[in-house]
Amino acid sequence: MRYGLLLLSALLFSMAPGFCATAHGEEGLLVFAGAASKPPTEEAAKTFEKRTGVKVDLVFGGSGFVLSQMILAKKGDIYFPGSSDFMEIARKKGAVVAETERKVVYLVQAINVQKGNPKGIHGLRDLTRPGVRVAIANPEGVCVGLYAVETIEKEFSAADKAAFKRNLVNYMESCEKTATAISLKTVDAVIGWSVFQHWDPARIETIPLKKSEISRIGYIPVAISSFSNNKVRARQFIDFLLSEEGKAIYGKYHYFMSPEEASAWIGATKPVGGEYVLPADWRPK
Amino acid sequence: MSLRRVSILFAFSTFALFAVLVLSLLYFYRGGLFIETLFSERTLFSIRLSIYSATVAAVLATALAVPSAYALSRCDFPGKDAVDTILELPMIVSPAALGAMLLIFFNNPLGNWIQTRGAQFVFDSNGIILAQFVTTLGVATRLTKAAMDEIPQRYEDVARTLGASPAAAFFNVTLPLCRRGLAAAFILSWAKAMGEFGATITLAGTMAMKTETLPIAIFMKLSTADIDGTVVLILIMTAIGIGTLYAVRMISRKGLHA
Repeated sequence: MRYGLLLLSALLFSMAPGFCATAHGEEGLLVFAGAASKPPTEEAAKTFEKRTGVKVDLVFGGSGFVLSQMILAKKGDIYFPGSSDFMEIARKKGAVVAETERKVVYLVQAINVQKGNPKGIHGLRDLTRPGVRVAIANPEGVCVGLYAVETIEKEFSAADKAAFKRNLVNYMESCEKTATAISLKTVDAVIGWSVFQHWDPARIETIPLKKSEISRIGYIPVAISSFSNNKVRARQFIDFLLSEEGKAIYGKYHYFMSPEEASAWIGATKPVGGEYVLPADWRPK
Repeated sequence: MSLRRVSILFAFSTFALFAVLVLSLLYFYRGGLFIETLFSERTLFSIRLSIYSATVAAVLATALAVPSAYALSRCDFPGKDAVDTILELPMIVSPAALGAMLLIFFNNPLGNWIQTRGAQFVFDSNGIILAQFVTTLGVATRLTKAAMDEIPQRYEDVARTLGASPAAAFFNVTLPLCRRGLAAAFILSWAKAMGEFGATITLAGTMAMKTETLPIAIFMKLSTADIDGTVVLILIMTAIGIGTLYAVRMISRKGLHA
């Protein structure tokens, strides 16, 4: 019995996080990132660790949520939101060093449906058909939702908008969960990013929007946090993301590496980034 | 220092821990925003939805907990240990995992059939009640069973010798004797349902004026980096939750001792 207790205590002690030496210390980096770039960012962080020996801890979530965490915790070296809208908020709140902001990859809006397109959705107006279950990311907190609202407001008549809202069953709380809604077949379609198809190719299919329906090209920016005590290392990580090796990782996941590449996919030149103010009827008070 | 003083010190330390957390919210508090947020249509909807769904979920959980707890407390049957152990499932798996399990269930043929021919649960207000019910059922059953375990079986046996049927003995002897435990089970289930977040957001979603309960509204405020708004909603939720529980405790104390 006594030996059993000793063994159990030793086992518990060995499992305690502080017992195992990790590479993360003063030289490590803490990155607050939007889920829009989760798969390649994880890979990029691992590659960076291998190259430099600098441990990169990644905190993923909705772009606004991780920004709140960073501000309240007063820590973090890098802010890496899902789009320019949240970088704008971070700048206004003084949470990032504005002059360190860089554009990493570019994103284009699209409709995402279940593999094989069982509901026969071929365009934006099909989302207003009765019986089609649609979701968008929460436009108040998730960038891709804001882009979706912009398109709906621009393209739909009042009747179309009302029909679309009748079909709209949920606001997803992150970019990643917007894609997962299709994977889990909880909805028939989402207005997401073209890249979602490559996150889960077995279950998600992308239906491109007409070039006239796309207002702007999204981009994923990155900047050094105002709370960073390790700005040299943070700069080094950003430089790695923008290097050929870093870009190759994002390219592998079918992100667009330049505005030209995104424009070529759309078939027209579109403005990059910018801010869109969410209309009042999408933001109940 | 006497045992009494030490124990009171510990009780106040627990109170102080939570009080400090609540008071620290005032660091970001803005008075005008509190009134504006409290009386906004969206917040009032979230309050109504939270109270309604938590009450329905707690009533359903307690209603199912009473017969289940009676079986576990009084009867021996094959698989009893398995039933007893699985009550802890909602506490072992995280609420988010429980929500994912529900979401995956509705992705299966049976779940799909329920959704198409019965009621909608995924991304619907019914999903809130279901998520809260599943999360609280184990706690409600465990607490009710504990209350019934305290009542000696002999009381029911005596009632039976006086001619009462098993059901009459249960309703007239056991149930009234464990009413305080039952009240505690209901109150705790209600409180747990009121604060439920992980399973609810996963199954029912985050849509304002449709499935946005108070905990989800708090999460959404934080998701837009609106820290002042987050603080106001946490204060509202704390006031409603603690206020209701305190009032119920006072009323039930009088009622149960009457």
